[in-house]
Amino acid sequence: MTAATQKTVPSKSKKKRKGKFEPRIVAFCCNWCSYAGADLAGTSRMQMPPNARIIRINCTGRIDPLFILDALYQGADGVLISGCHPGDCHYTSGNLKMRGRFVLLKKLLEDAGIDPERIHLQWASAAEGDVFTKGVTAMVERIKKIGPNPLRKGD
Amino acid sequence: MTEKTIKISPVTRLEGHGELTIKLTKEGKLKDIQFNVGSTRFFEKFLEGRFAEEAPRISPRICGICPEPHHLASVKAVEAAWDVTPPPAAVKLRRLLLNAKQFSSHALHFFALAAPDFLAGPLGDPAKRNVVAIIKALPDVGKMALEMMQFGQELCAAVGGKAVHPVTAIPGGMLNVFSEEKRDEFLKRSEDVVQWTLATVDLAKKVVQDYWDPITKLAVVPTYYLGLHNKGNLEIYDGKLRVMDPEGKIVADFKPENYRKYYGEYVPKYSYATHVYYKPEGYPKGIWRANTLARCNVADQMATPIAQDALKEMRDALGRPIHATFAYHWARIIELVQAIEEMTILLKDPDIVSTDLKLSDVQPMKGDGVGCVEAPRGTLLHHYWTDDQGIITKVNMVVATNNNIAGLELSLKEAGKQIFNQKAHESLKLPEPMI
Amino acid sequence: MAKRIALTQLSSCWGCDQSLIDLHLRLLDVLPELEIVYWPAVVDYKLHDLENLPDNSIHIGLVEGSCRTKEDMHLLEIMRAKSKILVAWGSCSVFGGVQGLANQWDLKELLERKYMKAETVTDPRIPKENLSGFTEHIVPNPELVEVDVLLPGCPPTSDNTLDALTALLTNKPFDLPAKTVCDQCPMEREEKNIKQFKRTHEGKIEPGKCILDQGYLCLGFATIGLCGAQCPTVNTPCKGCFGPPPAVTDHGAKIISALGAVADMDPEELQNAFPDPIGSFYFTDYASSYLSKMRGKNRGKKK
Ligand code: SF4
Ligand code: SF4
Ligand code: SF4
Ligand code: FES
Repeated sequence: MTAATQKTVPSKSKKKRKGKFEPRIVAFCCNWCSYAGADLAGTSRMQMPPNARIIRINCTGRIDPLFILDALYQGADGVLISGCHPGDCHYTSGNLKMRGRFVLLKKLLEDAGIDPERIHLQWASAAEGDVFTKGVTAMVERIKKIGPNPLRKGD
Repeated sequence: MTEKTIKISPVTRLEGHGELTIKLTKEGKLKDIQFNVGSTRFFEKFLEGRFAEEAPRISPRICGICPEPHHLASVKAVEAAWDVTPPPAAVKLRRLLLNAKQFSSHALHFFALAAPDFLAGPLGDPAKRNVVAIIKALPDVGKMALEMMQFGQELCAAVGGKAVHPVTAIPGGMLNVFSEEKRDEFLKRSEDVVQWTLATVDLAKKVVQDYWDPITKLAVVPTYYLGLHNKGNLEIYDGKLRVMDPEGKIVADFKPENYRKYYGEYVPKYSYATHVYYKPEGYPKGIWRANTLARCNVADQMATPIAQDALKEMRDALGRPIHATFAYHWARIIELVQAIEEMTILLKDPDIVSTDLKLSDVQPMKGDGVGCVEAPRGTLLHHYWTDDQGIITKVNMVVATNNNIAGLELSLKEAGKQIFNQKAHESLKLPEPMI
Repeated sequence: MAKRIALTQLSSCWGCDQSLIDLHLRLLDVLPELEIVYWPAVVDYKLHDLENLPDNSIHIGLVEGSCRTKEDMHLLEIMRAKSKILVAWGSCSVFGGVQGLANQWDLKELLERKYMKAETVTDPRIPKENLSGFTEHIVPNPELVEVDVLLPGCPPTSDNTLDALTALLTNKPFDLPAKTVCDQCPMEREEKNIKQFKRTHEGKIEPGKCILDQGYLCLGFATIGLCGAQCPTVNTPCKGCFGPPPAVTDHGAKIISALGAVADMDPEELQNAFPDPIGSFYFTDYASSYLSKMRGKNRGKKK
């Protein structure tokens, strides 16, 4: 299917005009483990790229897939979802629900002609500030390769 | 006078988006008529990648006036691709569904689309030349017409779940049992419907007598004809396709799956709907028509007795093949009769309430399949290719109307020539309008 | 006094019309209330008759279908200008309809398949003469012009349309319900814990029991409750043809959210069960989804 293979490649002229592309990432972090991890990353002055805007939620199980689509629609270059490790979810299985939703969402993006790598799901615990930092860094790298969201506002 | 182009937009009392472009010479004679179909929605593309068993849910949306034929052509195409044979009771239920649609559509077409011309006169005021005005002026005819449509549509809904866009046919059978209560209800109602149908036959006969002149003189266009038959009987659900040439010779008789040898699709510059024709003869020589008259031409006889009497009467009057375009209305009434007769037979068949309607083991497979039925407006054919997961990879569809557009255009050209060049309408004998 | 009404079809299947006509004898009660100023399916008025009407002179304008051609856009704009109350009638009009699924491709690919590559086509060409041309992709009507009343459904039931007309004729508001098809469905439900999804042709659906509980994708839970649960009542899964309830802005997102909650399956199994999420989750409303809008905007930028 051609729709699936179509990539959202930005035009070259735009890239040149804009200079270096700095991805904007929306990161949904669960309150119990991941947000603490993100916090830790901040307080312990670990090097974290400044590209992520962190949104705190109670549990990844509470993330409506709509939030993710909405973020992309509003021009986010990537969406990172960070939750507790399987088995550690404060609400038992919120993260497993998210995992099911996430795979369906990825396939949906792909079929709609939008690079599924723009969304990413990772697990981190309260003690793993570095996992979060690394996740954000890797996400930024990935998105740089894909290029800006064509719907990005402000360019 | 200069050369002139007349646009008629839209063509009314016809489903779909049609416009006419009529070109006249300086002398006011007809130069050309184009039938411009102004839209299409690309079902053949966006069915790709879908679960094949969902195609019967999606494809009815091609036409809301005849969704049942699409539902069934679609399910038959998938069954052919997967090599599945549904239980006999399911096939009977499908036949009931298709006949119910045939009946309501023919009633709708006759009373709402065609009759206004006959009852209000073809030159009547547009505000009066429509079914709404007929209902006001001839309440008894109007009420009968509505009740006939109602019977067909409600039976469609009872079998298919919804009258517009039925849902119950699935590869391997039918999903819902037709209950005994419903059977009894419709069987009871069918008694009146038979009477109304016979009354409609009488009304049609009167129209034929009154309009004998235009019927036999205006837009008499020899073409090829295409239609389904079963051992020579006029058939709508399953059978072989026949092509008749303008002289009345059967030039092809084939299984629908071999359609590619006989079907050509000509793409006009000026219409989004293609013109389907008899491929061995080429275009435009091989232009064929489908629909009521075509079926009545290619069939040796009707499948039911009263309809057969009616066909005989038409043939005695006009011969076989009949090329008179207005005879389509007559043929429609003959088919209306067959539809109610077949429904009555099916409703009386004990199998119709059977619970053995669906195979429990249906396996998708890689392959391709053709599903062909007769829609009220002509032969309808779906051809799907599926992968081993039963997902559609490719679709070809030849819908009922496209079999008729080129023939319709020919009829319009012929009628146009007669009217613009020979002022035929001034000499035709027309009755006084009834309303 | 009879109120002036116009019924127009953009690219559509005319099923919304058929459904209105399916009021049958009840039409006799409604018709006297209406003065039909345009309805090509039934009445012989022509487009110029509509174009020549003064602005705001139609009391109720019903628009069926979506904008697949430039001519459709023209008609929609005229209907907006001439109508006091413009009704998006049916899922095509409200959401873009089933043909919105074509938004997965570029127009070029659609044209190619139909006119250049179809098996039976003998002389491929793309028709252009005396035709208005296609729109690049389908955009739902409410995003193109201001619409006053939404009536989804594919088609809306005869009663749905009658209810809306009755309300509008008597100057009452017509609001969509917040309930779902499940709320209208008579099937017996249990705690949902789905271990495996079956396709509709597999096995046999047991009558009387919730179809989703049996492992078939029935979309009643995410679909507006207007149709009276027509499909589950005849033992057939709801495919969501009426679109989501008004508060839900993306049908597919809502469905995915719910599947995450009720499916007790490995992520891969879940993904494998739905190889075509667009076709499975957006039947008549893909054009109104976030994803289709994203692709649409992207297309606009590329040009
Ligand atoms: S909403 Fe459905 S029934 Fe109405 S025109 Fe569109 S496809 Fe047809
Ligand atoms: S999921 Fe389907 S069958 Fe179950 S209650 Fe809802 S609409 Fe009815
Ligand atoms: S049950 Fe679902 S698919 Fe069936 S008519 Fe209602 S909304 Fe449409
Ligand atoms: S509480 Fe962290 S994912 Fe559920």
